[in-house]
Amino acid sequence: MLPDYDSLAPATWAEALAALAAQPDVVPIAGGTNVVVGMRAGELRGRTLMDINRLPELHGIRVSDGHVVIGGGTTVAELLASPAITEHAYPLHQAAAAFANPLVRNRATIGGNLVDASPAADTYPPLLVLDAEVELVSLHGVRWLPLDQFVLGVNQTERRPEELLRSVRWPLAPERSAGLHHKLALRKGTACSVMSAAVRVDTDQLGRCTAARIALGAVAPRPIRAHEAEQSLVGESLTEVTIRRAAQLAGQACRPIDDVRSSAAYRRRVAEVVVRRLLTAVDLELKEGAQA
Amino acid sequence: MDKPKLNIVGQETRRKDGVARVTGQEKYTPDISLPRMLHGRILSSPYAHARIRSIDARPAEEMGAVVLTWDDIPHVRYNERIITVPSVLHKDHYVLADKVRRMGEAVAAVAAETEALAEKAARAIRVEYEVLPVLLDPSEAIKDGAEPIYDTAMWGTNEIPISGNIACTRNVEEGDVDQAFAQADVIVEGRFNTQKIYHAQMETKSCVCRPEPDGGLTVWPTTQSIHNVRILLGQIFDIPLSKIHVKKVPVGGTFGSSIQMNPPIPICAALALKARRPVRLTLTREEDVHDHTRYAGEIHLKLAARRDGTLLGAEMELVGDIGAHNIQAYSYLGVSIGWLVSLYRLPNVRYHGTAVYTNKAISCAMQGFGNPQVTFAAESLIDELAEKLGMDPLELRLKNYVGLGDTFWGQGPTVRSVVLSDGVPQLLHRGAEIIGWEHRPKPGSQTGRYRRGIGLGRGFHTSSAGAPQPGDVIDFSGAMVKVNTDGSVDVVTALMDHGGGTLEAIAKLVAEELCVPLELVNLAPAETGSTMYDCVTHATRGVYAGGGAAVKAARQVRQELKETAARFLNVMPEALDLRLDKQSGQGVVYVPSIPDRRMTIQEIATRCWTESWKTIAAAVSFRPTNCPPAYVNVFVEIEVDTWTGAVRTVMAAMGSDCGTVVNPVMAAGQLEGGLNKGAGYALFETNEWNADGQVAGGGYWIDAKTAAIGETPRLADFITHFADTWEPTGPHGAKGIGEAATNPVAAAYANAIYNAIGVRFYELPITPEKILRALAAENASDPH
Ligand SMILES: Cc1cc2nc3c(=O)[nH]c(=O)nc-3n(C[C@H](O)[C@H](O)[C@H](O)COP(=O)(O)OP(=O)(O)OC[C@H]3O[C@@H](n4cnc5c(N)ncnc54)[C@H](O)[C@@H]3O)c2cc1C
Repeated sequence: MLPDYDSLAPATWAEALAALAAQPDVVPIAGGTNVVVGMRAGELRGRTLMDINRLPELHGIRVSDGHVVIGGGTTVAELLASPAITEHAYPLHQAAAAFANPLVRNRATIGGNLVDASPAADTYPPLLVLDAEVELVSLHGVRWLPLDQFVLGVNQTERRPEELLRSVRWPLAPERSAGLHHKLALRKGTACSVMSAAVRVDTDQLGRCTAARIALGAVAPRPIRAHEAEQSLVGESLTEVTIRRAAQLAGQACRPIDDVRSSAAYRRRVAEVVVRRLLTAVDLELKEGAQA
Repeated sequence: MDKPKLNIVGQETRRKDGVARVTGQEKYTPDISLPRMLHGRILSSPYAHARIRSIDARPAEEMGAVVLTWDDIPHVRYNERIITVPSVLHKDHYVLADKVRRMGEAVAAVAAETEALAEKAARAIRVEYEVLPVLLDPSEAIKDGAEPIYDTAMWGTNEIPISGNIACTRNVEEGDVDQAFAQADVIVEGRFNTQKIYHAQMETKSCVCRPEPDGGLTVWPTTQSIHNVRILLGQIFDIPLSKIHVKKVPVGGTFGSSIQMNPPIPICAALALKARRPVRLTLTREEDVHDHTRYAGEIHLKLAARRDGTLLGAEMELVGDIGAHNIQAYSYLGVSIGWLVSLYRLPNVRYHGTAVYTNKAISCAMQGFGNPQVTFAAESLIDELAEKLGMDPLELRLKNYVGLGDTFWGQGPTVRSVVLSDGVPQLLHRGAEIIGWEHRPKPGSQTGRYRRGIGLGRGFHTSSAGAPQPGDVIDFSGAMVKVNTDGSVDVVTALMDHGGGTLEAIAKLVAEELCVPLELVNLAPAETGSTMYDCVTHATRGVYAGGGAAVKAARQVRQELKETAARFLNVMPEALDLRLDKQSGQGVVYVPSIPDRRMTIQEIATRCWTESWKTIAAAVSFRPTNCPPAYVNVFVEIEVDTWTGAVRTVMAAMGSDCGTVVNPVMAAGQLEGGLNKGAGYALFETNEWNADGQVAGGGYWIDAKTAAIGETPRLADFITHFADTWEPTGPHGAKGIGEAATNPVAAAYANAIYNAIGVRFYELPITPEKILRALAAENASDPH
């Protein structure tokens, strides 16, 4: 049951920033799918909720200047329906498709997912492999941070209390690049990730890997990149041997915990399997792309 | 037996409440709002085991809330479920906790003008607790020196001491077990563990209560039994039943969670009586998740057999985790052995059952009432036995199952009847054909990443708990049927529809008996004052017992229609018959040899009205004298991904012997739901508790892992089929179906997994993790 709370509904962007700057107890609420759950569990007592859903600055998906830019208030359902996301950020499209259930997807926003920063937050791995950056805005100014630097730990980010996450952007992928995402959960819908992974591989004309990105969710206090695994692929072609080695390194990068969804050992084990499957599928896609 | 031809029963028809349900117009308890109604909230304990030192309600009262504490409630100990006869009924529950025994137990309650104020007021109440050690594991709870959860409880009218946290025990011994095992050629044995899972019914428990000027109460509860709610409220608050009106409200699913009068009902009543205003009280999902689960326990089962596969005897020991209160532990212990001996002919059995209190959510009946647990053990062991004997598991089952002519006591030692209809051979052969049983792999013969397996689970549930003589379970029903002045028909029944179409079936059975079109049969709104007693809609008895009562009443009405028409037509009543005249869309009473000597039911009823004569009606009680088995078997083909441990259902074939199939589409839906729920139970669903006694995940559904629609196999890969049988004691040949559909599912999955990877699991759920661990142990090298 929800306790009593005060609320604000700023009509303009400036008003919203001013309220955040003036009152340290103000908590932005977007879809509320984390905030309301927290409140029911007794968190956020005595805080003032600020509804940011109606601010136009937080909405829209566009492709310009070689980047995809989406508003922080973009819902997961909007991501799922957007042809631009399917075309330019397929792993994010897949993550959106595996996210919660249709009801939650209609409310949940990308900004809320990133700021809440659960280790299992599903938009992180795909955005990490896309090299996404987040835009943080306050009365003091605007700053862009690479996503990998933005997230710090369980529910911890670089966001300052007076900042709003206005948008997320990432560069369009080069040619001969492919990426995929997979979520493992205990059931198909309305389930938190046991673990999730996204991979992306860029290749040269000979099919050699020029850059690789491997990101993992729910295997450490924050979503992580498996740098050693990525490095092991650079300069190599994707073969059973290189894929297996990268997957093993990805498994070793995990620092999982035991919890209600899975044991640590199982997470480490399936992380390796899932990365292997994703790299194998990416390889197939790149080869098909080369033939076409 | 030659089956009579049926006109309406067995047809696909549109559900009477369907439009209201799917368009959101149906009114469930939380939708009810009364003038001057207050909103109730309970103050739930944040501890799982604690003594309550003091409660300071003043801060809440200063906010204008009406507060209910221990001092305001009648100090009457009761049992929320009164299906067990009073002489052996355990009672350990008060309207508010005398002592906290599980997390979330109601310590106090408030009513206020708004829900927000009620919430605030509840939080303002100051409670001093003396926190006690939390007992979560039955094996810890029974140890010497373990903190006692209870000192005493009532048993019948006696106060009995509770020691070792043992709520009750039950022993059964028949034949000579030691001799059976001594003579056995083969013995198989296993220790099976099952988990507590949440019912996950869509509607959380709720109640609206209005105090009446005469000192009585009108109640709109979430319940499966309006009459038992009435009786209990009468006992607790000392109000004559004639002043308590419990209304029948559509219920948003139960899976057994409201067989008992659930805690918000008496709390809401007490609040309304104190406030002298109507009150509504609805549990949050988190509260509901902490309130009830399926029974969990350890079953140690041993079977003895001859070399030719004849079963000689069994020994079973059950230690059940009943959680914080004893709702029906004594019955649960009784039925658990009943399920076993009614699955297979076991002339010699020894059984010892122990029910143990823990500081967890209360165990209560959930789809099968102990049956899925016992069937998981028995059907796993039967497969092991078949392997030892080198027999086809299907043949071994056919050789030993309890079928036609056998005595059957599914509902426990005092509820014995004889099987009169049996579709088992048909079902087994048909299912085997669909799934390709002949082509199933040899266990453990596969290598490679994906391994397929086929498994069989066989089971049943009783239709009702009826028997020739009364036992320790109350089971009888009632119905009223009356013909309106235009020839349409009202059926008044206390039975509930949990979603499966029970009431629809009852309407159809009456339409069939009276030869009137289904559209003209009304399921009348009902309450305790306007219905005959029915114990509760549970035990797969809705169609069989509730429908049986309705058909008995309709049969009397049919007779009266004939006698009345006989006078109008000037013929002998014996010369008359009834049929449905499709052309006029009317039932007609006619003389077969003189076709124009006829009257429609409408004409008869209208004439009875205009000639100021009478209403043609009947009100009956009905005691089923049998509880026929509703047999089910399920074959599943699964695929194990040996890299991740994930199990995928490739195909399933589920067959049901429910006698006459009253609602074909809904009956298939029961099987589909049963498979889905059963598969979740088998593969991933569980409730875990942290050391403080909180449900892991805090009671949020996201981690409750109830199987959802995504887990259902594609319907193209899921074949349902029905036996061609007729139950002579059932209404138009019908038996039950509901619980039967889930009982054998976990066993089928366990057997299929064994068939695929050669590893047998004795503990549910068989998660991907456990599968990987077992494969790793089998094959220490990396299986990639
Ligand atoms: C049933 C259910 C299922 C779920 N399933 C999944 C799942 O499958 N995968 C998954 O990743 N998550 C899941 N979640 C969690 C949740 O839905 C997501 O994290 C969601 O993206 C949060 O977005 P929101 O808009 O609802 O955030 P809110 O709850 O509104 O906010 C979350 C946090 O972000 C802050 N915030 C929000 N927007 C901004 C902004 N623009 N600038 C600054 N701060 C901001 C808020 O102050 C708050 O701290 C689930 C939740 C529920 C209830």
